[in-house]
Amino acid sequence: MKRKKLLALVMAGAMVFGLAACGSSSSSGDSSSSKAEGIRLLNGKPEIDDQLQELAAKYEEETGNKVTIETIGGDTSASDELKKMYQADNMPDIFVIEANQAETWDGMLADLSDEDWVSDTSYALKDDDTVIGFPYTVEATGLSYNADILSKAGIDPTTLTTPEAYEEAFKTLDSKKDELGLTAVVGWCTEPNNLGWSSGTHVFAQYLDAGLAQDDTKYLDLLNDGGQIDEDRMTDFANFIGMLNQYSDPDLLVDGTYDDQVANFAAGKYAFVTQGSWIGATVTSSDDYSGFAMGIAPYAFEDGIDTIIGGAPSFWTVYNDGQVDAAKEFLQWVSGDSAQKILVEEANLISPFDSCAYEPTDPFYNSINTYMQADKLSGWHTMLKKDGLQNETCVVFNDYAKGDLDAAGFVKTMKDVIANYYAE
Amino acid sequence: MVLPPLLKKRKGGKEMKLDKKLQGLIAVIAFFGGIAMLIGALAMDFMGSTFEGRGPILVIGILAILFGMYLFPTEKHHRKIINFIFLFPLLFTFLVTVIIPLLLGFYYSFTDWDGIRMRNYVGFDNYAKMFHQPSFVWSIVLTFLFVVLNMVMVNLIAFLLALLCTNKFRGIGFFRAAYFVPNLIGGIVLGYIWQFIFSNVLVEFTSKVFNNNYSILASSNTAFLGIIVVYIWQYAGYIMLIYITGLNTVPGEVLEAAAIDGASPLQTLFNIKIPMIAPSITICTFLTLTNSFKMFDVNLSLTGGKGSIASFMGSYLTNGTEMLALNIYNEAVIKSNYALGQAKAVLFFIILATVSVLQVRISNKREVEL
Repeated sequence: MKRKKLLALVMAGAMVFGLAACGSSSSSGDSSSSKAEGIRLLNGKPEIDDQLQELAAKYEEETGNKVTIETIGGDTSASDELKKMYQADNMPDIFVIEANQAETWDGMLADLSDEDWVSDTSYALKDDDTVIGFPYTVEATGLSYNADILSKAGIDPTTLTTPEAYEEAFKTLDSKKDELGLTAVVGWCTEPNNLGWSSGTHVFAQYLDAGLAQDDTKYLDLLNDGGQIDEDRMTDFANFIGMLNQYSDPDLLVDGTYDDQVANFAAGKYAFVTQGSWIGATVTSSDDYSGFAMGIAPYAFEDGIDTIIGGAPSFWTVYNDGQVDAAKEFLQWVSGDSAQKILVEEANLISPFDSCAYEPTDPFYNSINTYMQADKLSGWHTMLKKDGLQNETCVVFNDYAKGDLDAAGFVKTMKDVIANYYAE
Repeated sequence: MVLPPLLKKRKGGKEMKLDKKLQGLIAVIAFFGGIAMLIGALAMDFMGSTFEGRGPILVIGILAILFGMYLFPTEKHHRKIINFIFLFPLLFTFLVTVIIPLLLGFYYSFTDWDGIRMRNYVGFDNYAKMFHQPSFVWSIVLTFLFVVLNMVMVNLIAFLLALLCTNKFRGIGFFRAAYFVPNLIGGIVLGYIWQFIFSNVLVEFTSKVFNNNYSILASSNTAFLGIIVVYIWQYAGYIMLIYITGLNTVPGEVLEAAAIDGASPLQTLFNIKIPMIAPSITICTFLTLTNSFKMFDVNLSLTGGKGSIASFMGSYLTNGTEMLALNIYNEAVIKSNYALGQAKAVLFFIILATVSVLQVRISNKREVEL
């Protein structure tokens, strides 16, 4: 009797554990047998799923080879799903990774150095000298602005290359708020739960890269060397963020959502917004959009910063044990003319390839192109910081916005948080 | 007496013996053939064979083993075999979905598994490491605080609601349903609904009290209260139903006797109703206790565990509202430290198991005394 009771207890305990564990797992990948015809591509951008399907159809039409697009997105990250696929021995032949995940897949990614497209782009993902990632789009971020409002207020965005110029511009805009129909000068949100990626990854990226050349990784190297920061640069950065806090919409600064932030910008209620080129489609499709022109200005937190950040946010890589040759063939085709037409004109992606002859209708394209032509695009190195760091730093941004920290406190806390995270 | 099928047909004499032999032969062939197929299929799988038929072989093997056992010519053990065969599907599922993952989990916690590969055995390193993480210690402290507060609050509120809803007045069914409905909404959705309420509606009022214009979710202390409120809102209705059932089983004659003896409503409540529903209290405390420990979905969708703590164990924390389950999830899935997350999960299991066993022991004793 006693033993039975014990057994029942153990079983009950195990059940409890099982229940506790099942909260965290949700599988969504539909498994296809390993002998599926053609190759499989795991896409992490749900917004371009339709266009990729079109791309696959076009590829089949032109070459007779089949490509299956599997899309993971929303709250399930592709990297999480990939791990499950790997455990289930169900890996796609081509899958999406962010730059800092290359280490996780070390030794499992095919060497793409000998492909023809490599010489056509400067955005490929490299591990030392080996090319492992295919760039399929370029995104850019900085302080996006409403060009119409700036010109009405008499501000030339090309002069915004010093903190003083920004302060001046913000003051002017702030004083003309009613006249211009603005709610606030800047749309800047620091809510850490749903918008942590914005502050922790993209805005933090400005500290790492603003003003540097595309391949300059000075501050990233310092960061990845045990989580050090350059305190002078961070102090300047903190002062600039302080200014954003001051001129931001107080209703959204601490707990605003991405949707509200972008919607207000689209409605012309902000002159600036702290998001990048990806908001283009959302803004132009908004009901309140009046057709104003947009551009991206640099985060000039130090004198002479005149670059915006741009690069490939994620890459397509080829799985070593998959159908490598077929996958390489497909990637080569994607870099070619008929595929670029779909990606650029339909999916509205900015092509990373020099030979691409198409121009997206993206409202930010002209502004970004100016920077690209002038070689004023800084690297997208924020994706190379330690995975998960953005979840820590975004809270510090939030505390700063709430006023719990001052500029000096922001720098000190940032330093501690980063050092602790790297020490883990 | 339950007999194996073939034995039932003819009884007595030689024929039966022959049948028995034949049956035994079939049983043995099926049993060992099944085992051979099972081992063969597993061996093929482990050696990385891509032969498509290995799945069917495995299933047929298992069925053959069960069939062999069923035909086994024994009268003494036949009932036991039947019991086993009937229990087998459930036990097998339980084994595959619970026991094996549990054991694997223990195993992984001693390695440096990152979700993809396992390079080394690290012994107890993961266990040592997690206690040196101020953020994890904070999560433990916070979870215990949450459990205690929640257990008291949910039970208290649910009991009061139950008392209200056992009165006789019009529309009682509506109120019971209304209190219960939040429980039918999934935790994630609930979290987003309340996030909206906190940051768009409630902020109108809280801004005047706190003299700022952001929601209570923006600071760790108030966000913690927010989580408790949402959890009570979600869970109190469910617990209330159990209390209602309990209160309805209190025999009418006892209450009548108390009323005749001149007991005040309060005396009736404390001296009659509450002792009579002790079993309900046990069940409810147990339910709220384990459920509060396993708090995950509302936590994830409401605050994502974010929030700052200025100083705890000498460091600035960024996971001010992160409970244990969410901490484990973040460690494994977000930070890709699957092994460390697994070690934390083992600790979580031990805590839960201990608490649950203690709870049941204590409650059982109390019930006996009553």
